[in-house]
Amino acid sequence: MSAMQKQSTVGKDVSFERIRRITGYLVGTMDKWNDAKKAEEHDRVKHGLSCGCR
Amino acid sequence: MITQVIKRDGRIVDFDGGKILAAIEKSMEAAGHPAPQGAAAVAEAVTRRLNETYQDTPPKIEEIQDIVEQELMRMGFDEVAKQYILYRANRTRIREANTSLMKTIDEITKVDARQSDVKRDNANIDGNTAMGSMLQIGTAGAKAYNEAYLLTPEQAKAYREGDIHIHDFDFYSLTTTCTQIDIINLFDGGFSTGHGFLREPQSIQSYAALAAIAIQSNQNDQHGGQSIPNFDYGMALGVAKTFRKAYANKLTEGVEDFLDTEDEKQSIDKILAEAREKTGFTARLEKGAKEFDAAVAEGLCEQYKIPQEKAERLVSVARRRAVKKADRDTYQAMEGFVHNLNTMHSRAGAQTPFSSINYGTDTSPEGRMAIKNILLATDAGLGHGETCIFPIHVFKVKEGVNYNEGDPNYDLFKLSCKVSAKRLFPNYIFLDAPFNLQYYKPGHPETEVATMGCRTRVMGNVYDPNREISYGRGNLSFTSINLPRLAIESNHDEKAFYQKLDKMLDLVANQLLDRFEIQASKRVYNFPFLMGQGVWLDSDKLGPNDEVREVLKHGTLSIGFIGLAETLTALYGHHHGESEEMQKKGLEIVGYMRDYCDRKSKEMKMNFTLLATPAEGLSGRFIRMDKKRYGIIPGVTDRDYYTNSFHVPVWYNISAFDKIRKEAPYHALTNAGHISYVELDGDTSNNVDAFESVVRCMHDAGIGYGSINHPVDRDPVCGYVGVIGDVCPRCGRRDGEAISPEKLAQLRKQYPDIPTFRGIE
Repeated sequence: MSAMQKQSTVGKDVSFERIRRITGYLVGTMDKWNDAKKAEEHDRVKHGLSCGCR
Repeated sequence: MITQVIKRDGRIVDFDGGKILAAIEKSMEAAGHPAPQGAAAVAEAVTRRLNETYQDTPPKIEEIQDIVEQELMRMGFDEVAKQYILYRANRTRIREANTSLMKTIDEITKVDARQSDVKRDNANIDGNTAMGSMLQIGTAGAKAYNEAYLLTPEQAKAYREGDIHIHDFDFYSLTTTCTQIDIINLFDGGFSTGHGFLREPQSIQSYAALAAIAIQSNQNDQHGGQSIPNFDYGMALGVAKTFRKAYANKLTEGVEDFLDTEDEKQSIDKILAEAREKTGFTARLEKGAKEFDAAVAEGLCEQYKIPQEKAERLVSVARRRAVKKADRDTYQAMEGFVHNLNTMHSRAGAQTPFSSINYGTDTSPEGRMAIKNILLATDAGLGHGETCIFPIHVFKVKEGVNYNEGDPNYDLFKLSCKVSAKRLFPNYIFLDAPFNLQYYKPGHPETEVATMGCRTRVMGNVYDPNREISYGRGNLSFTSINLPRLAIESNHDEKAFYQKLDKMLDLVANQLLDRFEIQASKRVYNFPFLMGQGVWLDSDKLGPNDEVREVLKHGTLSIGFIGLAETLTALYGHHHGESEEMQKKGLEIVGYMRDYCDRKSKEMKMNFTLLATPAEGLSGRFIRMDKKRYGIIPGVTDRDYYTNSFHVPVWYNISAFDKIRKEAPYHALTNAGHISYVELDGDTSNNVDAFESVVRCMHDAGIGYGSINHPVDRDPVCGYVGVIGDVCPRCGRRDGEAISPEKLAQLRKQYPDIPTFRGIE
């Protein structure tokens, strides 16, 4: 094992958690989402605040 | 002469001519023939032909059945032959259901959930665990049985082929969806979970613990999520009890310290009891505080012969300390509640209970203390700062209560925005929307609209118009219509579309009534908590062996729909996000369905309501089938999901304001529940004002229920919570990368809240 590898030992293979809302409920990671909902989440666009809102 | 036959699975068994005769007799009976007449002759003819044809090898079952059909028709029994064919087809359907069931179980048992859509149908169940798999096997078995035996052939076809979706179909014969649990009523005098009796709680900690238990217990009697409509009003009673106890304790301690004595408890209790008698108040945070404190000080003077000034000082110190103690206890109770709901198990351990709590309108100091602390506990997150998945928080927004500056709970509304901008909860329910306001009676929290789970709303009541309340009621079942398919099949013909819609609405309404018939014939003992403990409205008037039919009628039967946007595109070429003209058409379609529900309600004296369907499992199911049937139709079947209910499609570019304005009118029509989302970019916790402006926009536009989505990411290694792109802004690692312990130690000096990382969490 190289010195470099020895140093980097915390958090290998640990993913970021990405919490999203799915039909009203929050879900901790998207691993457990079904395919359709994953596709839907992927397509979501952000809504700008430009006009009208006070 | 044949002596053996080959069964479908290949086994060879002895030939039994009696079985042929019996099948023919049954078909004759079904066709209305006087039973045995001619049956023996047909059976003989069949045997004769079998003997001629199968001299060397035994016949297969299918081949025998073919000959029976032919002989029946040859001998002029046409009607009987028809019955026989139907009988065969039905047996085949059941057999195929069994085969497909085995295949499904095979997949549940062997395939990794990440590769299996079946196993990710419900994101709250971990299909890789033993209990999760067991639950899924049960689901698969129940669905196969229900389809084969409980649906009419017409319903089964519509369900199987994706014209409709019967939600929670696995529970078809077992229970109902959900309930708004009135915890004040439930806790009064204590209750039984079915596993033991719990005394009436006496402190905020026990109030919070019992609230979690109530949700858990009820979840085991129903298939949907559970909700508390009056969380603040309920917890307020616990806060009051905790404060009263703390006031007595702190006063006792203070007096003992001052007199340098011990055991003044009895005397103090006596003084408090006298003060109570004199003023009519107990020790409360505010209510009657002045009078009560004065009476207590007077009592101290008399009892201990101390100067009035000193007595007053002892009382005010005791009060101050008691407030602090109650506040701290409430925070801990709320923290415990949230932890509890995120870790407790239900339904054979495979799920955490789906839970929602509604609050925001109790303006009593005790209620406000509960609201503040549930928000603060949610803001803090779980043990390692994780965002809480449960419960769903629903903040009730009401002008004059919390919406405007100067309203008594305005500060809590502001706090809720701050918390939601960081943690995604609370969502917001708007009591000022006209369709919610019509039920609202000040001073009657049961008339405040509340939400269950993702969106379920229960308010109007044609069965009992005097009980238009949220408490103790819920949805019984719901079924959704594949609206885009009706549009595709109508081939741009509006009239044809509405004709098809009529037919589908009838089919669904009848199916809901069939299901109700099964639900209604259950007894109180089938729902030991829900009915046995009087959670459901009027169930306290029933005995353990009574049928639940009448009281269930307080609930709703809901017709849902999905994909309004695709429907409009299929019919007219574009969707309601794109033009005012289509908005008008969209409102016509949804209004049409609502009118149907209202008519049906009146006719049946039952609550038929229209639901903007939450579409977790459904969004992919319908479109998969429609793609196969109709191919790719641009704007209709060209994605992997149909758009949620009446939403403007998630991929369509539109401002937050315009989206809200487009969707608000549909909230007024969908009385079984609805939700609108707005997607905000970036870390909204850095811009709470922008977040709040969207909430206010929803309120002013007449949205019923809404929430704001924004990315919330967390790095479990360094504990960073916020938006993480490819690289964690705090520790600099990429997804799955390791960092050095030295670096982590260095970061810990800078950010003391970094969790101790223990590998897989």
